[in-house]
Amino acid sequence: MVVLLFWLKVIALKVTLGRCVTLLFMAASLQLCGCQQQQSPYFGTVEPRHGPEELWINNSSEPEWLDPGRCSDSTGGEIIWNTFEGLVQAHPATLKPLPAIATHWDISDDGRTYTFYLRPSVWSDGHDLTAHDFVFALRRLVDPQTGSKYASNGFIFQEGLAISRGDAAVETLGVQAIDTHTLEITLVDPLPYFLNFLSFYSFMPLPEHLFQDLQNRGIDSDLWTRPEYVVCNGAFRMTDWRFRQHMTFEKNKSYWDAASVKLDRIRVAMVESATTAMNMYVAGEFDWPGGSTSLPAEFMDHLKEYQDFHSHPYLGVYFYWINTEEPPLDDPLVRRALSLAIDRDSLVQFVTRGGQHGSADLVPDGLAGYKGLHIPVYNPVKARQLLAEAGYATGQDLPLVTLSFNTSEGHKQVAEAIQAMWQQELGITVELANQEWKVFLANAEQTNFQICRMGWIGDYADPYTFLELLTSDCGNNHSNWSSTTYDTMLEQANQQHDAEERLRMLREAEAFALHEQPLIPLYVYTRTQLIKPYVRGIWGNHQDRHPWKYMWIDESFDPHDLMVGAGKNVFEDGQVPQ
Amino acid sequence: MIRILLQRLLELIPTALVIVAASFALVRLAPGSPFSSEREIPPEVRQKLEAKYGFDKPLPEQFIRYLGNLLRGDLGLSTKYPQRTVNEIIANGFPVTLSLAAIALLWSLLVGITAGIIGAIRQNTVWDHVAMTAALVGISVPSFVLGPLLVLTVSLRLHLLPPAGWGDWQHVVLPGLTLGTIYAASIARLTRGGMLEVVRSDFIRTARAKGLSESLIVWRHMLRGGLLPVVSYLGPAVASMLTGSVVVEKIFNVPGIGPYFVDAAFNRDYFLVMGIVLLYAFFLLLMNLVVDVVYGFLDPRVDVS
Repeated sequence: MVVLLFWLKVIALKVTLGRCVTLLFMAASLQLCGCQQQQSPYFGTVEPRHGPEELWINNSSEPEWLDPGRCSDSTGGEIIWNTFEGLVQAHPATLKPLPAIATHWDISDDGRTYTFYLRPSVWSDGHDLTAHDFVFALRRLVDPQTGSKYASNGFIFQEGLAISRGDAAVETLGVQAIDTHTLEITLVDPLPYFLNFLSFYSFMPLPEHLFQDLQNRGIDSDLWTRPEYVVCNGAFRMTDWRFRQHMTFEKNKSYWDAASVKLDRIRVAMVESATTAMNMYVAGEFDWPGGSTSLPAEFMDHLKEYQDFHSHPYLGVYFYWINTEEPPLDDPLVRRALSLAIDRDSLVQFVTRGGQHGSADLVPDGLAGYKGLHIPVYNPVKARQLLAEAGYATGQDLPLVTLSFNTSEGHKQVAEAIQAMWQQELGITVELANQEWKVFLANAEQTNFQICRMGWIGDYADPYTFLELLTSDCGNNHSNWSSTTYDTMLEQANQQHDAEERLRMLREAEAFALHEQPLIPLYVYTRTQLIKPYVRGIWGNHQDRHPWKYMWIDESFDPHDLMVGAGKNVFEDGQVPQ
Repeated sequence: MIRILLQRLLELIPTALVIVAASFALVRLAPGSPFSSEREIPPEVRQKLEAKYGFDKPLPEQFIRYLGNLLRGDLGLSTKYPQRTVNEIIANGFPVTLSLAAIALLWSLLVGITAGIIGAIRQNTVWDHVAMTAALVGISVPSFVLGPLLVLTVSLRLHLLPPAGWGDWQHVVLPGLTLGTIYAASIARLTRGGMLEVVRSDFIRTARAKGLSESLIVWRHMLRGGLLPVVSYLGPAVASMLTGSVVVEKIFNVPGIGPYFVDAAFNRDYFLVMGIVLLYAFFLLLMNLVVDVVYGFLDPRVDVS
């Protein structure tokens, strides 16, 4: 009897516990659908948790450097763009270069010499900002003593490369101050994208006086970007920096365009986990989880239904490098067959799911007026034909091929999908190998792979940022493929003054290279964002650059007016600078 | 007693030396470099960076130099966060991890011992079953499930606490509970087991025969004996709360040193990896020492010397 009672108790307990667990999961799933229950078109709370003069955002991780001359990561770039201002700034929607510290400029007939006329402006400590601050900054960028990972950005300037190699003195750099407010820049090539590229964070002026001052005080000048020392010339100035927690920025009253800056304060958190950042957005701890924070792919289908979800194309291409020296992939026919057997539309629709655009082109269509090649994204019949031409009647005749990627759930899913497509369409057996990031990089650098995944984010809006990848002397070309014909085609295009003719020449070069297929482009990136409907002044653009100076809180937004579309126009609204 | 403690502390030195040598060798044998990235770095720049950190010197020389710096208390520079020294990063993050572990420890002891006592003195009643089934669930649910569930219910549904972050007491609660629960569950089972073992022993019978009140017997005699397994468990548990907070710190974005344990290794941030390994090793050794000493106080049969 006692034993029976005991078991009854245990069973009752199990049932109760089982119910508890079920209830807990139900509560969790109800939360996910909670907003739908209340018919809210927004994901999470829409009542700002702070005043209209403030904004809370996320910048995904602790930046490596906040020093424009040394920074090489997007999280640092985000801060630099908003605390420093260069000669030109990018239009927040179109990214076209607009006057900034330079009010206007002259371009020489050969397109290689630019003369910039600087407006009178001051640093945040009141010091005058002069052309010499630009000369100091750009010399420092290429100076091998600086150890800048982005020194190569300065190779576009005359003597930049030679200085970096230690073959020339820094004074010889093609950046000279004519007087305190006139700057002359001489380029190696007449780059048509130069003005667009010039808004990049590597080209910001630096407060030379601060470096001298710190040295005189015996303080390591590497620490100059810390809030207690930093002097800047951008829209905001950092006032607090809690390592790996958050940074606080206040409006820089000395900024030349301070009248356009709407917010007084911005709190920038550093939350790495995409899910955590999303939770914080739901709870109202973020108004905008930031441009560099991706949304979790598994939530994408759900998030798309909300009004505060936005997506826009991004200047990045996901592709597979092929080691073109190792059989059987040394045959361009096999490489092209592999590319044609990939159903990219299904890949983006069912695997990546973030609204990416399946593409077999290296240069995204429409980039700075460039007409994309529109290579067919899927043609299995042609693929089998090419494979047969290469001497492999069936895919089974092909030796085993290994596809490597760095350990990540996303890359794994893409690789598995492509493994299945190649198996199904061509009968080729592909082995997958995932490698830890630094091991993967070391292998990629030495082309120690057969096929490996890679992504490339363009630095500036010009096809060259992608096409350069395949040049013989490009350190990022991991394919072992090199062609003097291709190199010459690009060189000739860059010497061409006529913009349209140049784009046509670049297009020809891209077609030539992709016919050889040293890499297999898969898709063009998109950026997906959650932005609270009361935040205005954020535009979608393909470089994901969102200047804080245009952002503001719309007090007229009524959180109780949950009519569909009430806050929809974030990406188009606001005053766009002329 | 002090002599024995000093002796034990001295014994830590060769152990620490072995740990330094082994971790130095392991971390440097791993392929890849701290300066490799998707984008090629000009070779001149790479040389300059390697020279800055002394990676251009032969390995034995680097090791001797590292030991020398270590003796001066200098753990080196981080390559991932070039503006921070490893000392600074640890000084920033370790108090956070410590306070998180302290909350987790308090929670686990409070809940664990209470549940254990209830289970033991009400053995085979419904109270016992509830407590022990809860403990079973607690042990079985990993922190990466419990954490998000707590966030969903407590933060996003009930709006009681912030979902993540660090700064005031509200931020400590959820990560503390998440980290502590699994230990609370183990402590409950250990307390119950330990107490049940002594409950039938002679000295408890003697205490009862003396006419001591039941509560006095539980608190003074049974608990003292019953807690012995818990005490020996606490040493490694505290160490593993400190080292095992990686997941919890990621979920709740706690700026402790947990995530570095993994990230620094991935980034090949050599000096940071070494610094964290040494810190954890030191704590592990220290905790074991503390447990041995506390054991001596609790159980008269154990002679610390």
